[in-house]
Amino acid sequence: MSRSRRIRAEATAAWHSFLRRKTAVFFTFFFPVILVVIFGALVRTQPTDGGLFAEPAAYYIPGYLATVVLFTPLSRVGSEIARHRDDNRFEKLATTPLTRTEWLLAHTLVNTVIIGLASLLILGLVLLVTDATVPLSSELALLVPFVVLAVVLFCGFGALLGRLADSQDGVIAASNTIALPLLFLSDTFITAEQLPGWFTPIVELSPLTYFARGVRAITYEQAASEPSLNLLILAGLAAVFLIAGSYAIPRTD
Amino acid sequence: MNKAVVASGLTKAYGDTVALDGVDLAVAEGEVFGLIGPNGAGKTTLIRALTGTTPVDGDISVFDSEPTAVDSDRIGLLPQSFSPPARLTARELVDYYGGLYEHARETDQVLRDVGLIKSADSWYETLSGGQQRRVCVASALVNDPDLLFLDEPTTGIDPVGRRSLWELLESLAAGGTTVVLTSHSMAEVQRLSDRVGLLQDGQLVAVGTPSQLIADHGGNSRLVIGTEASKAGATALEHAGFAVTASPGEILVDGVSPVDIGEAVDALSAAGISYDSLSWSEPSLEDVYLQLTGERFDPVTTASTAAAEPSEPPEQAATLGGDQ
Repeated sequence: MSRSRRIRAEATAAWHSFLRRKTAVFFTFFFPVILVVIFGALVRTQPTDGGLFAEPAAYYIPGYLATVVLFTPLSRVGSEIARHRDDNRFEKLATTPLTRTEWLLAHTLVNTVIIGLASLLILGLVLLVTDATVPLSSELALLVPFVVLAVVLFCGFGALLGRLADSQDGVIAASNTIALPLLFLSDTFITAEQLPGWFTPIVELSPLTYFARGVRAITYEQAASEPSLNLLILAGLAAVFLIAGSYAIPRTD
Repeated sequence: MNKAVVASGLTKAYGDTVALDGVDLAVAEGEVFGLIGPNGAGKTTLIRALTGTTPVDGDISVFDSEPTAVDSDRIGLLPQSFSPPARLTARELVDYYGGLYEHARETDQVLRDVGLIKSADSWYETLSGGQQRRVCVASALVNDPDLLFLDEPTTGIDPVGRRSLWELLESLAAGGTTVVLTSHSMAEVQRLSDRVGLLQDGQLVAVGTPSQLIADHGGNSRLVIGTEASKAGATALEHAGFAVTASPGEILVDGVSPVDIGEAVDALSAAGISYDSLSWSEPSLEDVYLQLTGERFDPVTTASTAAAEPSEPPEQAATLGGDQ
């Protein structure tokens, strides 16, 4: 009871803080929208031409979703940790009953809501502005755990970045440097066949790969993968990153 | 009396900089302990050590437990340079910190205690500096702690707000709350503290009640006479048996009790010397601080400091103006 009370208090404060930073709210949702509009509607996929965007539009749904699932928690949690550290908030929290895991869970909860809404927006936009279709089946419900687990995973990753970077600027630079290659080299927008053979192990090492393959297995009829194994791997990685992220959250020193 | 805090041999270094150098300290339950010292003396590191938020060498016991193992419901902390989320209202912030505890005090009562009930629905970032600091103090009081650590609690608070906070802290102390506070305001520490510790270069160089420290290190009471005829006035006062130091426009008479002021005035009068002002003061904690830290007032270097943070006159100072 008291654990849920603490998590609720932390999450409520974080939620209100986010909603009242209007530019943060705007760009959190505008970034994926502009991405879908540029690549989905303006560039458009060219299934017969080869090269980038050579697959049918539905193939890229995991890529679009990956942008918010990856970038938002990495930068938000990392920046929040840097902000907390700059303002001596962790020193204060260290003397309260709130644990570091509870802090991370609260911020993960907030990110899950934000990213869940952004994911719905992206999915709707992709279906609206491209000719992509999603097979309607009960498996579609698995999208929810995929998004939630990926958010948990990258919130933990963001906590690690926040610990390692010594400022908010450092967090943003580090998260962009890590997220951009991950986004394009995780079986999202670029197929594994388009990359050199020696690159395959790196793709397999990226946690985002399992999100992309799992989501594709649900949203793309010609997908070669199946969701359950990817979901299992993602769950395992999410647990590892949540634990590592919890330990990474600083107290004072 | 039971000890709320016992620490011995505390040592901490940041690279080559020694922050704590063998500090021994004990604070009794219900006691208000003030920590003073120059910037960088180790006050904040000591607070962090006692609250378990920084590792140090040495032994610390808080309510007979390790600092990190003590029941957090019993501890309240206001860290130095602390800022809560800026776009929450004062009420939301108190609710937030209260929500972290199983049993928190009623939000509006906490806001009333720190004098912020009228600004309860303003965002933190729109409050004045003093009001912001009061929100921070509120966040340390929300769980009704038995032991309160306050690292410079009144920084940026105006004199009226400061006094209302002092009254609040005095009422908490009267109710049995143990308080460990740091401050650069000697008047604040002298008024609030049962005992005072002076930290310098990571060492606790003096500990005692304010009156003990003043008696041991504060020097004598002084009479300062403003006069154009300082040289002649000094001679007249010396003939009357006073110990004086003359400088252009001013005579400093050392070791003058209040009943001796009339005698000094009579000596000046008898010599036909007029004066512009008389100012008498007892030694204060500020004199103890200056004596023990070896710091001296330097008009050139302190001019900018004084502009940023006005100094406070000693509480007991009495100033008389006159012309004879």
